Amino acid sequence: MENLVFLLPLIPLVSALITHLWADRLGNQVTRVSVVGGVISFVVAVLLLILMLNYDIDAQVSFGGSWGILLADSLSVLMAVVISGISMIVRIYSVRYMIEESGYSRFFVLLDLMAASLFFMVTAGDLITLLIAWHAIGVLLYFLLGYDTRSHSASRYAFWTLFTYRVGDIAMVLAAGLLYHAYGTWSLAEIFERLAADPGAHQYFGFALPELVGVLLAISAFARSAQFFLHTWLPYSMAGPTPVSALMHAGIVNAGGFLINRFAPVFVHTGDVLHWLFIVGLVTAVIGSVLMLTQNDIKKALGYSTMGQMGFMIMECGVGAFSLAIYHLIAHGLFKGTLFLGAGSVINEARKNDGVPKDDLYTFVVERKPVKQQKPWLIMAAITLIVPIFVLVLAHWLVAQDFFQKQGAIVLLFFGWVTGAHLIFSTYQMGSQNIWRLVGLIVFSFAIIVLGYAVISHAFDLFLYPDPAFRSQIYAAANIDVFWFDVLVVLVTIIMVLGWVARYYTEKNRNQTSKHLNSLWMSFYALVSREFYMNDIYAWISRFILNLATRLNVWLRWR
Amino acid sequence: MSDLVFLIAGLFLPIFPMSMVFNEVFSRVGNRNHRIALLVLWPQIGIFFIFASGAEIPGWIASWGLLTALLYAFRLLAIREMQLWISFLATSSWAILWITLQNSGESSPVYLYALGISLPLVLLLFLSDELIKRFGAAYTGLYGGLALTQPRFSGILVMVVLAVIATPLFPAFFTMIQTIIVSSPVSLVTAILVGVVWLLWSWAGARLIQGLIVGPATEMQTPDLSVAITKKYTIALVLLVVFGLLTLGGLP
Repeated sequence: MENLVFLLPLIPLVSALITHLWADRLGNQVTRVSVVGGVISFVVAVLLLILMLNYDIDAQVSFGGSWGILLADSLSVLMAVVISGISMIVRIYSVRYMIEESGYSRFFVLLDLMAASLFFMVTAGDLITLLIAWHAIGVLLYFLLGYDTRSHSASRYAFWTLFTYRVGDIAMVLAAGLLYHAYGTWSLAEIFERLAADPGAHQYFGFALPELVGVLLAISAFARSAQFFLHTWLPYSMAGPTPVSALMHAGIVNAGGFLINRFAPVFVHTGDVLHWLFIVGLVTAVIGSVLMLTQNDIKKALGYSTMGQMGFMIMECGVGAFSLAIYHLIAHGLFKGTLFLGAGSVINEARKNDGVPKDDLYTFVVERKPVKQQKPWLIMAAITLIVPIFVLVLAHWLVAQDFFQKQGAIVLLFFGWVTGAHLIFSTYQMGSQNIWRLVGLIVFSFAIIVLGYAVISHAFDLFLYPDPAFRSQIYAAANIDVFWFDVLVVLVTIIMVLGWVARYYTEKNRNQTSKHLNSLWMSFYALVSREFYMNDIYAWISRFILNLATRLNVWLRWR
Repeated sequence: MSDLVFLIAGLFLPIFPMSMVFNEVFSRVGNRNHRIALLVLWPQIGIFFIFASGAEIPGWIASWGLLTALLYAFRLLAIREMQLWISFLATSSWAILWITLQNSGESSPVYLYALGISLPLVLLLFLSDELIKRFGAAYTGLYGGLALTQPRFSGILVMVVLAVIATPLFPAFFTMIQTIIVSSPVSLVTAILVGVVWLLWSWAGARLIQGLIVGPATEMQTPDLSVAITKKYTIALVLLVVFGLLTLGGLP
């Protein structure tokens, strides 16, 4: 039964080979091979998931040799369903979308190879298979993003992606080297078993092995998931074809979350690494969101939106909510993929029809008519602060009554509360002839989302980590000292409240802001609109390196 | 005695500044067959001398080899002439083998590692000759746009460049994995520097590909590779992968 896992990467590999060999004979019809391959892969993945849910499979199969092991466990099968589903849709979409492009069949060969590499990555049961897949994805993405070979800019931005991914590859090779040296095997299952038996058995360069490996894997995940400092490639990778953007945002960029989950048995034995994940994720989420809000190019805005979401995903890992990160990456993949694939037809439709539905709810929410007199702010403030926390606590209490004992859950609740409160605060500011109805609608939507999120993420937790002791271990690894935790919560609350107060006064005194404040604000806006000058800095460093290499060559007489 | 052996070995398994000898010889030899012989045999002579002496490689020699690899990988970024590019990459790749030799000694198949590096470079040499035949020079950024005018040539070129910059599943990939794996537990700095060398090769490889195949179609009308020759290159590449998987892919 578990041998079905072999089929996942093999089907797209065979499909790529047939597409390449029959391209001349079948012409454009050859893409049907790729589409059929995609459908079969999806069916196999779903079948594996059904079998797993019914028979609780947790096995590994091997091509033979010291590596080439594939895992059939809950994480690999779940990810395989997502990847096969998204790549199948992308292939079907591309049949018409790409038909007028030169190298039509080449595009499908690349898509198939990418799907095969992604399957190898999620099912890899040993370090070498994982390294090969991880590396191959970067290389294939380079060719997919630079698919339009006429465009120098597409090629340049594809290279940015390749370079960043290679940084992550090397961090992963270093981690693999240390793990192999310590345990003498490539097999992940054996490594995790021996690590769990004695986590402190190996020290390298004064660090415990899990700590060092955790840092290297985190760097690899940061590069793949566009975390701050390694993010500049993401918003510029839109020069690639739309189906590639959809596949990338839905199934490739989120691999950082997968990697952290795959190496969960390592991360539970780390001390500070998860805290660093939280900090890097938080910074990325904030910066990504700020940059998204200031973009006037919709595609770049989507790129930065993904960056923000990836930051949140890494942050979830940092608080120990590993399975929530998987749910997040799937949910994000689906909605971002839909956005990319649907964007063209929406624009096309909008040119013919304004698309405004003439129903009562749409008119009420969108075509609002503000009233002159607003409700007392004290009541609204109370609703703003109390309702979200009530909804969040109730939803979490329904799925797991012990959630208050987990710091990570509290941190996420806190973020949920801030988001919910901000949503209602903004709703109040919008103004409406019937504010209660508007707030009611928002609270209802918020409750549905929170309840759905809590229930589904709890189900993911049980599915991916059925052992309650291991689940607790993950949360425990992410814990910090209670005193500092409380200090941080209070500090962040003060910052948030000050932010709200500042916004309230800014709105109230809109026409009376000082010149100094305006100038400060404009400077900040300029900084953000130039994307913190990070691209300029990287471009300058790149030019400097190339100039230095040329000078060195001249000095050494090109020998 | 061992110093003399390392000096000779440093000529053939290039260490800077003796590495300049190989680059000078490679540029002066006009005959293609001689160049192929140089690419295949040069590092093997160096390895032979080291193994024949039986001397243990001192740490400073291995570090020197690593710095040589780094120097040539760095300089490779600015190279636009393809034959010089091949020569510099060969120097950088062979110099890395000092690290493998130091950490795993005779137990590792270093002869095969060197061969796994040399063979894809030979294929690239053939391709550069094809370019010279068509355009009079194998030079990046000079004509460009080959993907549109010569799709078969471009496809093969891309695959060969991927092979020489140690992309999976080509033999050099396993050599690099092995080198990093044996060096990382001993010295993280060494392992990181090997990684940097690999990163620079990828950068240089991408620049080479972009300089030749990317861009609007060139106005010069030249024939693409014939189907028969394309098949030969494809078979050679498949054999390289098989060679990599069967000999070096076993890993320890």
